[in-house]
Amino acid sequence: MPSERGLHPLSFVFHLGGQLRQLVVPGLVLLVGAGSAGYQWQVWVLILLAPSALLALLRCLSVRYRLDAAEIVISSGFIFRNERHIPYARIQNVDAVQNVAHRLFGVVDVRMETGGGDEPEAALRVLPRAALDDIRERVFAGRATSAAAIDGAVAAPQPAEAARTLLRLRARDLLLAGFIDSRGWIIVSAAIGLLWEAGLFDPALDAIAGEDVDGRGFIRQAFRALAGGGMPSLDRIALAIGGFVLLLIVIRVLSMIWSLVRLYGFHLERRGQDLRAEFGFLTRVMMTIPIGRVQTLTIREGPLHRWFGCAMVRVDSAGSDATGERGAAKRESLAPLVARGALPELLHEVLPEVDLTTIDWQPIDPRGFRRAIKISLVFYALLTVPFVVMLKWWTPGLLALLWAWAWLDVTMTIRHLGWALADRAVLFKSGWVVREVSVARFSKLQAVTMTESPFDRRYRMAAVDVDTAGAGDLHHRLGVPYLARETAERLREQLTRQAASTSFRW
Amino acid sequence: MSGIAFLAALLLWLSSPFPPGWFVLLLPAGWLLVTAGVGWFGYMWPKYQFRWTSYVLDAEGIEIRSGVIWRTITNVPRSRVQHIDVSQGPLERSYGLGRLIIFTAGTHHSRVELPGLDHAVAFALRHHLLPRGADDAV
Repeated sequence: MPSERGLHPLSFVFHLGGQLRQLVVPGLVLLVGAGSAGYQWQVWVLILLAPSALLALLRCLSVRYRLDAAEIVISSGFIFRNERHIPYARIQNVDAVQNVAHRLFGVVDVRMETGGGDEPEAALRVLPRAALDDIRERVFAGRATSAAAIDGAVAAPQPAEAARTLLRLRARDLLLAGFIDSRGWIIVSAAIGLLWEAGLFDPALDAIAGEDVDGRGFIRQAFRALAGGGMPSLDRIALAIGGFVLLLIVIRVLSMIWSLVRLYGFHLERRGQDLRAEFGFLTRVMMTIPIGRVQTLTIREGPLHRWFGCAMVRVDSAGSDATGERGAAKRESLAPLVARGALPELLHEVLPEVDLTTIDWQPIDPRGFRRAIKISLVFYALLTVPFVVMLKWWTPGLLALLWAWAWLDVTMTIRHLGWALADRAVLFKSGWVVREVSVARFSKLQAVTMTESPFDRRYRMAAVDVDTAGAGDLHHRLGVPYLARETAERLREQLTRQAASTSFRW
Repeated sequence: MSGIAFLAALLLWLSSPFPPGWFVLLLPAGWLLVTAGVGWFGYMWPKYQFRWTSYVLDAEGIEIRSGVIWRTITNVPRSRVQHIDVSQGPLERSYGLGRLIIFTAGTHHSRVELPGLDHAVAFALRHHLLPRGADDAV
């Protein structure tokens, strides 16, 4: 019997909390501005904000939802009444977040997303925990009956009770994941270090600490030494190196702690057609993604991943934000860390039609190397120009070093570019330091493009890319450059035909 | 000869304050040159665009070719079309033209445009491309 239900009685407290948080900034402005003359308008702003807070409270008290046979109905508002019907079949994923306060009161923040729009289509702020399980069961059951088999990916719908653990990460794994994943931090810190070395911070530093500060500008001093004699003192070098190493260690440790807190108790299971993940020490996140809704799957392996024999797996669903900002934090990875050995099994659950071990990878056109190396050599040559002042006759040496690196980089990059057609999916791979493999089912392809730049045309080459729902700008490219034109043409036609012969089910 | 002229010009330039008085005389010429260039580009570019834009419609979907310098071929299967706009600006309306805008569920190509169609043709394309029946139900 469908019955109307309201939010948790404490819901308005959390709404009030949210409202108060919004008032904090104007409040601070008020406090700061209190000393000056013209602060009266700010008081008015606060007074004007109060009714809006009140209205929001009323609105949250008015929210009612009902779980019907095939849809969820959410009504809200006293004055402007709004009723939203969302068929279960259209729901991409059901996510729930519990921060510390939520957990204290045993409530959850539930979000449901359909394919369209930027915001979650249904955000039920603060429900009792039991209501979440209820919603998930209903949404799942409704889908199982309305859409018999999703996309041919999975044969018969299993009963909802059959839950199977796919991945469980212990504290050790999480620490390792954090250790491996701090790549971005390294880049940031290296950039800061470089700027530091280049002396961009010098004016500020000189102003604060006077002319000669230890442990700064080591590389610059080294260059100076090379250029005009006068080695920097040994303890300065030691101090600079020691400081840098310490910084790296601190960043790694922070990253490990962060990973442990964020992903604490990571648990991925398969229940019927849904993938469910639950993790978090302070803020607990519960996500549910139907397997048939997985748009693309990306496997990512950095050097450290290979060192430790593991990988990271990410899935993109259409509900996740395309710009990668909002949903990125929680839906980024299906498996933050999975052992190489367990990878095929995990993939088999999500993409049964793709067997990574038997993939017949196609390389790109060998002429791609010639084109890429030209760009690279010119780039590095330009890069060395400013160093002439500093290095004088050593510049050709630096150039030779950089060109050797360019040669290696391009050779490896070209070697690791590739594409493949599987039974019902297309695969792309790229990267040699950080290797990424992406899989997209034919049924999830939205558009196929072939692009020819002027350089491509000169060599009779082309690039082929595919577009899917939920592919972000920062995600792995679903496409391959430097193909011979005929190959590209054939690939484009094949992909288009395959995509057209399957019907898209989100 | 030209070398001497160049040297003379250089000497003149070096010995006079910047900008020199006769520089003003060059302004109209420069303006004319830039205007002519922009005008030529504005006149010729659509011609090139027209030459390099084409489409193929078949049972499976639509294939759009576009781009003068960077050439792109975009294939959108019929089953991936979410909805279609046929739009007309005032100029397009006065010439009886229209543009077809195909929306897909994708991200980078969620909007595929085909401009410069006869308005009636744009409608016919839309009619052909829109999915019939419930084969796209989720």
